[in-house]
Amino acid sequence: MAEVRPHAHDRSLPPEAAQASLGAAQSEAVSRVATLHLDGVAKSYGVGTPVEVEVLHGIDLTLQQGEFAALIGPSGSGKTTLLNLIGLLDKPNAGRLYIAGEDAGALDEMAQTKLRGRAIGFIFQYHYLLPAFTALENVMMPMLAARGAVDDAMRERAADLLARVGLTPWRDHKASDISGGQQQRVAIARALAMNPLLVLADEPSGNLDTENADAVFDLMRDVNATSGTTFLIVTHDPRLARRCDRIIELVDGRIVSDQPNRDVVRRG
Amino acid sequence: MNPFARFETIVAFRFMREGLTQSLLIIFGVALGAGVIIFMSALLAGMQANIVRRTLNFQAPIEILAPDQVARQLHEGGPAGVAAQIQPRSQQLRSVDQWQKVRAEVAGVPGVIGVTPVVSGPGFARRGEATKSVTITGIDIESYFDVIALPEKIVAGRHDVGPLDIIIGIELAKDLGTTVGDKLYLTTASGVASTLTVIGIFDFGNKGVNERNVYVSLRTAQSLLDLVGGASSIAVKVQDPFAAETIAQTIRGGTDLEVDSWIKTNAQFFSAMAAQILANTLIRFFVGLTVALGIASVLVVSVVQKSKEIGILRAMGTARAQVLRVFLIQGGFMGFTGALAGALLAWGFLILWRGVAKNPDGTPLFIVVIEPSLFAIACVGATLVGVLAAAVPALRAARLDPAVAIRG
Repeated sequence: MAEVRPHAHDRSLPPEAAQASLGAAQSEAVSRVATLHLDGVAKSYGVGTPVEVEVLHGIDLTLQQGEFAALIGPSGSGKTTLLNLIGLLDKPNAGRLYIAGEDAGALDEMAQTKLRGRAIGFIFQYHYLLPAFTALENVMMPMLAARGAVDDAMRERAADLLARVGLTPWRDHKASDISGGQQQRVAIARALAMNPLLVLADEPSGNLDTENADAVFDLMRDVNATSGTTFLIVTHDPRLARRCDRIIELVDGRIVSDQPNRDVVRRG
Repeated sequence: MNPFARFETIVAFRFMREGLTQSLLIIFGVALGAGVIIFMSALLAGMQANIVRRTLNFQAPIEILAPDQVARQLHEGGPAGVAAQIQPRSQQLRSVDQWQKVRAEVAGVPGVIGVTPVVSGPGFARRGEATKSVTITGIDIESYFDVIALPEKIVAGRHDVGPLDIIIGIELAKDLGTTVGDKLYLTTASGVASTLTVIGIFDFGNKGVNERNVYVSLRTAQSLLDLVGGASSIAVKVQDPFAAETIAQTIRGGTDLEVDSWIKTNAQFFSAMAAQILANTLIRFFVGLTVALGIASVLVVSVVQKSKEIGILRAMGTARAQVLRVFLIQGGFMGFTGALAGALLAWGFLILWRGVAKNPDGTPLFIVVIEPSLFAIACVGATLVGVLAAAVPALRAARLDPAVAIRG
């Protein structure tokens, strides 16, 4: 089910209506400038073996700049696989994947790595910070990998990001010496380090208590509102999903529902 | 750009610091390995240099002799038939034919730094009731000391031997009860005799040489050994003692002279030395291999332990080549610091060795030269071994699939 929306912030326009209002040529033009566009993406494991399993079947999906979308679905529905494909951590067996209009699936490994570093930020269920480094160094890490060596601008940006997630007092603490909620906030700051177009969050609050989960979620919403960064959040928590602008539901490797969250839209 | 501000260096050092115990253990292992290699190499080099020096103290690297006299058949292949057995001729003392010309020619051969005529033959030294058999060596004081450093070995008296003078070894002096200034009666098998004054006593550090060799002037030896105007051999000194055989072959070419290098005349010593070098090389190789395997195993474990972190780094846009370098740097650093520590260890042991390994008279058993180049080579070598050893784990880390690594 292909879905395109002409204006990311025109949240009053349902996707079906938007789709209907566009011709095929227009659809292609829009998808080129969309933050993310998947066209018939499929993924199978064990290809060529007797146990070949197709986990994603022809996924069509478009995310415009500034969207804040939830990806929900039961366990084993293919959410993490889809996130890995979008994050260029895995390769689809079929279909095309565009990031900011660029055919990312056609790039070689090195170009994909560069694009991933530049355009995509990751937030995982477990923060996955580097325990040997301080909070500040963890936030600097994507910039360091991209630019090759430490510089003052990098340090300043990391400090600013930590200030934004309210962790200035902990910036020089080792990642392993701060609380789970703080670690996840550092992970958010790290995901934003390269000022990415798209942040992919895999159960970002799955490992946190309600209070911390809400704080982390509020932070992501705030970043989305102020920076226009696109978020795609995998969550099991219906409460959190209901706070997203758009809810995409995946069942057995297929998108079975893709709706704007009317509660949010109405509130907005 | 400051290498310590680079992404790969920062991550590599932090990874090593994180696993400090295992990093230190492997560096200690490398230090022991490098220390053993350096210590053994220095000891062996010192021992070899010492043996070479001691041998060449009293022996010229190349000696040119008159060709051996051979018995020939008169009617080779003739109707009278061939003798079933030819008895070898006894060799009488003969002069090198046209030795002055040979001397001049040899002096022009590249690598030759000293040429001197020598008249050498057997004799007896007598003083009072004591008689000792000796090897008389007649020397040309103008040129002999360019070849053999006799003046350095004089322990009493002087070395400028005149027609009525003789220099003897410390053992012979003891046996005959002579000191500098005493007279000595020297005779040869041909019956020629001369009374000479001991003007110097030498010590070559070799009992046989100190007991047997006596030095007289060239003319005195010529008359004593009935070789007037002749030279029984020409002694040649070369720049590189180990090139002696090659230079000997050059001299030999085109002449019928017998040219012996010290390498040929000390073949047994050289085969022992070759065996020693081979054993040392084998030990060095296996110690190096052990060090490499140690570094590789630590890094393989590190890659497994850090696979999630590597996956995260890759997800953040770290290139495979950067991950590869993170582990190569760790291997190189472990090799380098280990070798540096090993060099210090070996240096300490060599100093200790110098203090402990002594002759009964307190002189060093042999001089161990602490060559800075050996330490430098060991450090560079160990760094390379470290980098090579890290290659397999580094490739493994670089090839990690980030999605799989993050999932664990």
